[in-house]
Amino acid sequence: MTCSVAIISKDNSPLYVLAADMDKETELQYNFHSALDIVDEKSSNTANKNFDSFLGMLYATELYKIYGYMTNTKIKFILIVDSLNSALRENEVRNIFRSLHVEYTNYISNPFTIPNEPIFSKSFDKNIRNICKA
Amino acid sequence: MNFKPLITYSGDRTLFTALQSKIEQAIPQDEIEWKRSYGRGAAKNIKLEAGFKSMENCKTQLENYNTQNYEIIKDPVLHLYVCECNDVDNYKSSLKDEIESWLKQLAGYGITDWMILIVETIDMRKTSSKILPRQNVIDKVRIDVGSKNGDRCVSILNPLKFENKATESFRSMINRMRHLMLTAFNKNIMKFEDIIRARREERNKENWNFITYFLLQEQLAFVLESLTLHSDALVQYDELEAIFNLFIHNSIYGEKPKWMKCFEQPLNSLRGITICKKDLQERRQKIVDETITIVEFKNYIFERQSILLNAMQNQWGIAQRLFPFLFSTLREIDSLRLETYNGTLSCWQFVNCLEVLNLCDCVIGTENIIKCSQYTASIWNHAKDKLYELGKLCGLLPFPGITTTSEQLHIIAQLSSSIGEIPEFDEEEQKEKEIRRSHSPSRKIQKPGCERLREALGSKEAFQKLYLELCELAISTYKHVSRLRSARFVGRDLGNFYCALNEPQKAIVFYIDLLRELKSEKWNVLVSQTLLELSNCYKKLNDNLNYTKICATISCCVDLEILVRTFYFDELLKSLKAIQPILDNSDKDSNNFVQFEDHFKLIDLQLLNNSPIIQDSVISVELKVESNFPREILCEMLAISFEITEKLPEKYTAPNEFEMLNFSIHLDYKQDNSLNCASVVSENKGKVRRTSSGKPDNNTPIIRMNFKNCLRKENVLLHPGINSIVLSTKAFEVGTWCFKQISCIFQKLDFLSKDITIKNKSFEITTKPSSASLHFSDLVAGIDQKMKLIISGGSFNFPKDSTMLLKCSKGLRLSLGNISDYQRTLAIKLTDFKLFEERTIELSALCELPCRREDTMIDQKVLLNCPWSESDIQIPLKFLPLMTASCRLHSSGNKKFLQVIVKSLYEKELILTDALMKCLADGVVITDLNPTSQNNVKVMKNISVSYLYEIEVEPLKTTNELPVISIEFNLMYAEIDKPDIIKRYICPFDVTDYNTLFYIKIKISTEEICRVGSICHLNLNITKVCENQHNDLMYEILYDQSIWALYGRSAGVLSMADMKETVITLDVFPLTSGFLPLPNVRLSKYIANSKTKNDNPKLIPFAPTQMYNATKSLQIHVLNNVDQ
Repeated sequence: MTCSVAIISKDNSPLYVLAADMDKETELQYNFHSALDIVDEKSSNTANKNFDSFLGMLYATELYKIYGYMTNTKIKFILIVDSLNSALRENEVRNIFRSLHVEYTNYISNPFTIPNEPIFSKSFDKNIRNICKA
Repeated sequence: MNFKPLITYSGDRTLFTALQSKIEQAIPQDEIEWKRSYGRGAAKNIKLEAGFKSMENCKTQLENYNTQNYEIIKDPVLHLYVCECNDVDNYKSSLKDEIESWLKQLAGYGITDWMILIVETIDMRKTSSKILPRQNVIDKVRIDVGSKNGDRCVSILNPLKFENKATESFRSMINRMRHLMLTAFNKNIMKFEDIIRARREERNKENWNFITYFLLQEQLAFVLESLTLHSDALVQYDELEAIFNLFIHNSIYGEKPKWMKCFEQPLNSLRGITICKKDLQERRQKIVDETITIVEFKNYIFERQSILLNAMQNQWGIAQRLFPFLFSTLREIDSLRLETYNGTLSCWQFVNCLEVLNLCDCVIGTENIIKCSQYTASIWNHAKDKLYELGKLCGLLPFPGITTTSEQLHIIAQLSSSIGEIPEFDEEEQKEKEIRRSHSPSRKIQKPGCERLREALGSKEAFQKLYLELCELAISTYKHVSRLRSARFVGRDLGNFYCALNEPQKAIVFYIDLLRELKSEKWNVLVSQTLLELSNCYKKLNDNLNYTKICATISCCVDLEILVRTFYFDELLKSLKAIQPILDNSDKDSNNFVQFEDHFKLIDLQLLNNSPIIQDSVISVELKVESNFPREILCEMLAISFEITEKLPEKYTAPNEFEMLNFSIHLDYKQDNSLNCASVVSENKGKVRRTSSGKPDNNTPIIRMNFKNCLRKENVLLHPGINSIVLSTKAFEVGTWCFKQISCIFQKLDFLSKDITIKNKSFEITTKPSSASLHFSDLVAGIDQKMKLIISGGSFNFPKDSTMLLKCSKGLRLSLGNISDYQRTLAIKLTDFKLFEERTIELSALCELPCRREDTMIDQKVLLNCPWSESDIQIPLKFLPLMTASCRLHSSGNKKFLQVIVKSLYEKELILTDALMKCLADGVVITDLNPTSQNNVKVMKNISVSYLYEIEVEPLKTTNELPVISIEFNLMYAEIDKPDIIKRYICPFDVTDYNTLFYIKIKISTEEICRVGSICHLNLNITKVCENQHNDLMYEILYDQSIWALYGRSAGVLSMADMKETVITLDVFPLTSGFLPLPNVRLSKYIANSKTKNDNPKLIPFAPTQMYNATKSLQIHVLNNVDQ
């Protein structure tokens, strides 16, 4: 698995977190959480202009590159990629986000889904893992 | 790099040398607008500089000009020919040839950027102003070089000789020179770029060398920089860096090019960046010599970029580029598998961070500072992290138990030396710094990064001081750009640091801030981590109370492993035992309050009573609560408070009560009218708001609300998971109430909830009096009347078998429903009467029909004896009699007749049948005189029916014996629509004075015909019919005085004591003609004053039936007087 994913509700609480490295889950979660600062910044700056869901790289640390994506309903997708994985181009990141968005849309289209509640669906988890592996 | 565009000079060398400094000074004095070739950005005002060299010294450059070896930085940009020539002849004789050969030489190199400067010494214009202008030298030259290049020839007055007068021509010459330089640059840059591009295309060839290429392209950067095109210059470095990064990156996968050897040198020195000319020059020399290491090289690029960005006043750009620079370098070191000493890379990163921060410290203006801070915040944070790494490596962490080993001391020494020295700035740089500092004199001058690092590596104290400072700056900068989450994250590091320092009291603040932030956004995994850290702090501080609370919360963190949770649960129980005395004393403050939501989840709150709740009844509520504790807990008390609320309970609004929102479809078409995009537009500005929007406020302190009114249950065992508990209390006060707060007390810890947000949280306590009433309309006596008894139970709790008694006044009877079981006292059973039930009981009422003459209402009343009240309710009723009956006695001579008149008052038709007159007295015979057709009569309202009977009393029975005869009239009646229900109407009558005592007769006798005005005789004949005691009688003639005139006494007393018959005669005469009624007579009993004189005699009239006037209503025909 190459990347960690967090899906975050419009109220900024985590709906789904997939950590590439379970040992570092806490650190990754802190990174996801901090990334929200920049998502806030970016989304408020572009509020009036043509809004692109893909927010680009939010920030980088020595170890990670952190990318963001926000849907029109303010659901945020955050992707943490190992910074050694320089093969991953921005376009590919964009594609990952798009697949994540599609997956989330499918999930939320289920009439039994309660929006803004943490996601425990196994099939959803499986699908997200597949996206991240690819 | 100091670069001055080079201009060669030829011609009169001595003259030029004299002018050189003046020209060199003049060129950078003014700005010139540079219109760049198409697509190269907008026109820009720039300043030029120029250096001069004689053309002979530039031979090689000239030769390179049109070749691939052209170097923009070394090669001259313009070629100048200077000469002094005052007259045309002189020019023609020698100068012309010289210029021609110079031009030829230039043309040989392919150079077209030249300029001819003719210096004039004689002021020609002054002398020739009035004469015809002679063709002067400059015009000649222009003709010779061709009209196309005419503007390359300029003449000036020798400024050395004509100081004032020459100014204008000199200035225009300088302007021309600048212009020509820029024209040349436009061309040269394009040309040079072509060369660079061509070189770059060759990058995969074997002998291609990146460093050579770098130095080539950097020339362009220098030129652009000198032309103050900083951003264009920056682009060159960005490109170079990108190419370099790509090379290194690709080297992982393939063969390494030869030139990369240079960058595979071991990294012995890892000095950070220094923005210092001397160092830059040194580094550039190393590049040229190909002895530079990769880190130095990357440093160099970053330094150059920084210088350019700094010149552009774009310090945030520097900050923005720092991390990509650092991290890409680290990756490159990694991919080249270069070894570094432990910690050197951290040092290098740290120093670079601080250097950039120092640069950013010069920023002026709020907007710039904020922009800068967006990047510097994370730089502070990164510097802090690196310092920590170093501290850990070198044993400098000031934590108890950590000492610096000799090995670590060695590392420190090694690192200190590799950090590098303080950069030496030359005078110019110092000056520049001074100027910068003067913008904000209050700012502290920061030492260079390497110096600060060296100090920090010097001692634990210095290390701690710097680390704390960096943390603080990172936090405050994050806060400044409102990145609160990141700030809290740094706070966590700081908290951890303080914890390790064994100063948990300082750490707690940071953890609590962090916890609040995380909780508000429900990052549960991180919340539980922070809780664990907090629990450590409290434990170290021996803060048992807070430790207990934290243990409770941790044991409820579902994200943690069950082992951890049960451990903390045990800790909780242990610690609770210890703090019981403290909790006993902490009633006043909120010491024992704990957030309910952290431990339990309110699932549902269901009122078990039916709403509304009756005052004084028991309210029961089923509380469904999920306990997150890993084991069961026995709570001393579970309570839910409720408070009175003004608001009406929220009602469910039916879908059709929603306001329709306005939406419209919006279609965007492309130019060719095909659909581009379809969207739905909401026209509900401000109307629509998601109710769930808005951040829940998590930061309010816990307050125990008023639990005066609460549902409660003591000793509740709460199992892990969902518990269902029924709590109850008595409903004391009437009103609308609202559940407010849950309190769950476990070993004196009070788990208090926030405002209960569950739906339908309000309920109503009411009270309502019971009532009973009778409903009816227009009651009629004598027939069945419908009534309704409406009992509204209200909030009275009826015993299971309660009854209601209805007591009627005399003559009225009631029965249930349609059953004609009429009773005066009716008992109604109210079985299973529910609260607030309203029961309607159908009743029938029957009021006896009394024998009455008048149609007055009959008053009746009903007394209700209700179970809820001790006193009776009195309900007055008024019945209209169905019919009235009266009886009259008539006489005809001695015969007596009874007439009974029955009159219906009923709205509907009635059937009257079987009229019967009875008399029980002996000797009285009643004869029915009614025709048989009258046996069955239908009557309408207000219609009277008469029944006639003859009554005969045996003569033996005297009046004395039978003064009153009781008779009874019976009549059967039925309503026309219910002919089967036949009722009997009984009317008792009393008959008195049924004997005729006197017989009266009046006769008017005349001689022949009675005429008006002629006197007649009126004979009044009174006969005693039967013996009686009335002897003294008084008669009165009653007559109409307009008809009759009477002579004599119209009234008189007579005694009939011994007489059977008396005749009284009077004279009368009629006053008018026609059929005149005879005067009437009234006979009365005369009772003379017997004892006292003063008494007047008494007149007592006879009952009409005692007198029989035989001539009553007789008339006499009176004719008119003949005379008249």
